[in-house]
Amino acid sequence: MEAQSILERIKSIIGEADLVWVDDQPGDPYLVIPKEKLRRLAINMKGDPHLAFDTLMCLSGVHNMGEQDEMEVVYHLYSLRHRHQFILKVKLDRPAFFPHFYLRVDSVSGIWPAAAWMEREVYDMFGIHFVGHDDFRRLLLPPDWEGHPLQKDYQEPDAYRGIATTREEIEGVLAEESG
Amino acid sequence: MLLTTETMVLNMGPHHPSTHGVLRFILRTDGEVIHLCRPDIGYLHRGLEKIAEQLPYAHFMPYTDRLDYLAAMNCNLGYAITVEQAADIEVPPRAEYIRVLVAELNRIISHLISVGTFAMDIGAVTPFTHTIREREWVNDLFEELCGARLTYNYIRFGGVVFDLPEGFLDRLSHFLDYFEPRLEQYNRFISKNKIFKERLVGVAVISRQQALDYALVGPNLRASGIDWDLRRDEPYSVYGDLEFDVPIGTSEFGVMGDCYTRYWIRIWEMEQSVRILRQCIAKMPEGPYLNKSKRKLKVEPGEIYVRTEAPRGELGFYLISQGGIRPHRLKIRTGSFSAMSIVEELGSGLMVADLVALIASLDVVAPEVDR
Repeated sequence: MEAQSILERIKSIIGEADLVWVDDQPGDPYLVIPKEKLRRLAINMKGDPHLAFDTLMCLSGVHNMGEQDEMEVVYHLYSLRHRHQFILKVKLDRPAFFPHFYLRVDSVSGIWPAAAWMEREVYDMFGIHFVGHDDFRRLLLPPDWEGHPLQKDYQEPDAYRGIATTREEIEGVLAEESG
Repeated sequence: MLLTTETMVLNMGPHHPSTHGVLRFILRTDGEVIHLCRPDIGYLHRGLEKIAEQLPYAHFMPYTDRLDYLAAMNCNLGYAITVEQAADIEVPPRAEYIRVLVAELNRIISHLISVGTFAMDIGAVTPFTHTIREREWVNDLFEELCGARLTYNYIRFGGVVFDLPEGFLDRLSHFLDYFEPRLEQYNRFISKNKIFKERLVGVAVISRQQALDYALVGPNLRASGIDWDLRRDEPYSVYGDLEFDVPIGTSEFGVMGDCYTRYWIRIWEMEQSVRILRQCIAKMPEGPYLNKSKRKLKVEPGEIYVRTEAPRGELGFYLISQGGIRPHRLKIRTGSFSAMSIVEELGSGLMVADLVALIASLDVVAPEVDR
């Protein structure tokens, strides 16, 4: 199916309200949906025989710090049965106080098991929580790491467990040791 | 009376010779049988996505070499195609053919390592020395081409950095003439070896559904019987003009989707790569090898997801630009990452020694998992 007819199908499933279709920029068009509708839509996108999105190609987090401090979760879906693709986006506000209360979105790992690790990675890098995930931990970084490195305002710590992370400090330590 | 058994927790890795880089598995075992298998990754995390956000587009190219050091050309190619599509850069035909040529050559040596280490991991050390000997020849060819043996940094936006040296294509066909009969020899002394077969047939079967659910890609997906290859189904570069078959797993040798099928797919893919290379040599056009029109690269605001077929499957770059000389976000989706995520599910119930075979058959490369 073409992207337009997929969009019509989606509208018939979850209604037209609050959907934003973005196709006026170069590159791939995408659909922004409210996060409350994500799980219901995801179930239907996999189960509906006309859509049948059987693989989740890519799940990424994005942090925008322009006019508004917001995060996005992007789902690149592909259907091997019908050979068509579609891109979904969920936008999350990131207020200055208690951001982790707001950075929450339903997990789709029960629908596409591939999402389990991808969501863990997004949490690791962006601090977005996925509600309903079976085994929710950091994936790449150590469990006691502070902060989420792909946030645009991330400050790299000077040391991790007493090990310096910047080159100047390491050189300083080496100079001290050699006297 | 029932026998009581005790489980114990076993750490496999991070420094285990069969883990292809630095990987760790936490296993809960009962005797030889694994009850629970938890991969622990991240030991080779270098923050490539963060680095990409801080560098101009062209400066990130050498980093893609390190994304998967066994298939640096394919990673170069994937990144170059992504930025070219976003910035609308034309590639001259000769450059396209050179790119496909080096990508397929890299696919061969990557699969050679995969096949060799596979045999080595399950106890046959000699085959590895044979495959690495052939790889050495290709490394020499690449060194002649771009001066590097492993991290090539050869492909540029709009072409490749150097033209083919004098006589390169002759030396390449000489290599192919030598290499093609070698594959038959491998089959004689590895693939059809009775011990090798008995060791792998029916081990760690991945069903069609599981392969789709975990978004497996590349040879691992095709071994489970799914007919999907980006080079043929969504052709990029000049793959549309070339003839080749896509090998699909069968149940001819036992069970479809087991370790042994995944091994065979790689042997068959090497045969097809040789076919593609011969066509590239025959069709190689004359002309410029680099489009030098855009020296200062800026990408219009927008986003694009481009995937190419690397030796370890689909390599996707998700590029978001907000204008300017640097990407706003570059997400890299690799084949080894999804291959690794299925180990958790498949691992329980296997024998410890079969886990080694499973990892080797999935052809996981740790830097590609961790990025």
